[in-house]
Amino acid sequence: MDASETFTLLPLTIDPATKALASSDPSLATDIDDLNKLHRAFLALDTPNQVPPPPAPVNPKRSVQINKLRESGNAAYKKGAFPDAVKMYDFAIRMAAERPMWEASGLVREELANLYNNRAQAWMAQSLWAEGAVDAEVSVEMKRVGNVKGWWRRGQCLKEMGRWEEAGEWVRGGLEFERAGPDKAGVGELEALGREVEKMLESGEV
Amino acid sequence: MDNGTNSTNGTFEGFQTPPAAPKSFWFGLLLPTLYLTILIGSLYTFSSLYRKRLLQKAEKLEPWFPPHKQRDIYLSLLHLDPSEASDSADGEKKLSKVPDSILKAALLKRAVEDIQRIVQLRSSKQALQTLLQRGSVGDELWQRFLRAEKETEEEVKDVVTEANAFAPNWGQTIFQSANEINQNFILKQRTAEIQAKLESEKAWWESKRAGIQSDFMKELEEEDKPVGKPVEAGKKKSGSNDDDAVLVDAGGPAQAQGANGVKKRKSKKGLGA
Repeated sequence: MDASETFTLLPLTIDPATKALASSDPSLATDIDDLNKLHRAFLALDTPNQVPPPPAPVNPKRSVQINKLRESGNAAYKKGAFPDAVKMYDFAIRMAAERPMWEASGLVREELANLYNNRAQAWMAQSLWAEGAVDAEVSVEMKRVGNVKGWWRRGQCLKEMGRWEEAGEWVRGGLEFERAGPDKAGVGELEALGREVEKMLESGEV
Repeated sequence: MDNGTNSTNGTFEGFQTPPAAPKSFWFGLLLPTLYLTILIGSLYTFSSLYRKRLLQKAEKLEPWFPPHKQRDIYLSLLHLDPSEASDSADGEKKLSKVPDSILKAALLKRAVEDIQRIVQLRSSKQALQTLLQRGSVGDELWQRFLRAEKETEEEVKDVVTEANAFAPNWGQTIFQSANEINQNFILKQRTAEIQAKLESEKAWWESKRAGIQSDFMKELEEEDKPVGKPVEAGKKKSGSNDDDAVLVDAGGPAQAQGANGVKKRKSKKGLGA
């Protein structure tokens, strides 16, 4: 009855050369996979006891690289090379997503929200509304408050695709989150978009 | 004499009773003892049976959580003797024991699972208490919950001691790390969910755009000769705000593909009118 003193012995084996775990039980496969991945991350650690450091101060190297990629993406965007910008943001997103798992999730959230937002803008510049809408949604999912641009971008993309009702709903949701926010100009833009969609819906043209 | 007779009577009777007197004495003692033994015995059997049944019931209560797989993996690893398990692979290279790094990784995974459980327990506690007060759920559920809470608490303590055994003071940060891992995991899951919609969204938009374009072309052909003017007028009437939209859009991100964008917008108007 006392579960704290017993455990189920699982059929595990370990490869002496690679030190990778394996199990004859297929239901454990995903867990074992995750564990092996985590193990490799552990081996790459250079902390004294090879245990993950506390999440607060992260390794700055990766942040610098991500920033660099974002800067070059921004530069490409300004030059009008939108596909290149998308590629750069793509690299940066991958870089941010591959941070060691135990690093501060708040930071990852912030970075990804920013990068997805930029990528959405780059898609929109190429009139790829579907891609833009999805990226902007991810950005908002990462960061709901203080992300007026993300809200606006998805609203705009939905509008461009002629999905007026969805756009209206989305913008209303965005305004709820952002109205009190500090970015007055952004909120104004969002409100303008909302009014436009509203008018369109009222006119019954869609 | 009365006394005498009495006494003789008594002695006479007494003569007969003495064999009876010890009998009745033992008999008299027997009854209460019997009574007491039966009483105590029945009480004892009742209480022991009752307790056994309670225990059985508690045992039968379904645990709140499914078996703790990560804990099982970790403990299995601790008990794994690699020199025994892997001798079939290749003889010369044997591990004397499971490397610490794997154990640490397994322990961290165990901590992550614990965090998930703690989050689940915390979020359901309030609701469960309210439901219990209202009588919407049985006491059994609450018992299960309390047991799960206790078990998780013990589990956490266990993980902390294990972590401290691997590296000094790791116990203080292992759950912080586990929490971040959990958060990051949720983050990735959400991103993947949204990104998974991309393909279908793209396909939908492609087909819609193609539809709009072909409609527009058809309309253009039809409009060309017979009803050019009226349609045009109708468009203007209803489309005043739509024209605004075109202006806003054109100022925005649509510079890159001017012709296409304009076509699309016109086609939308065509559909509307």
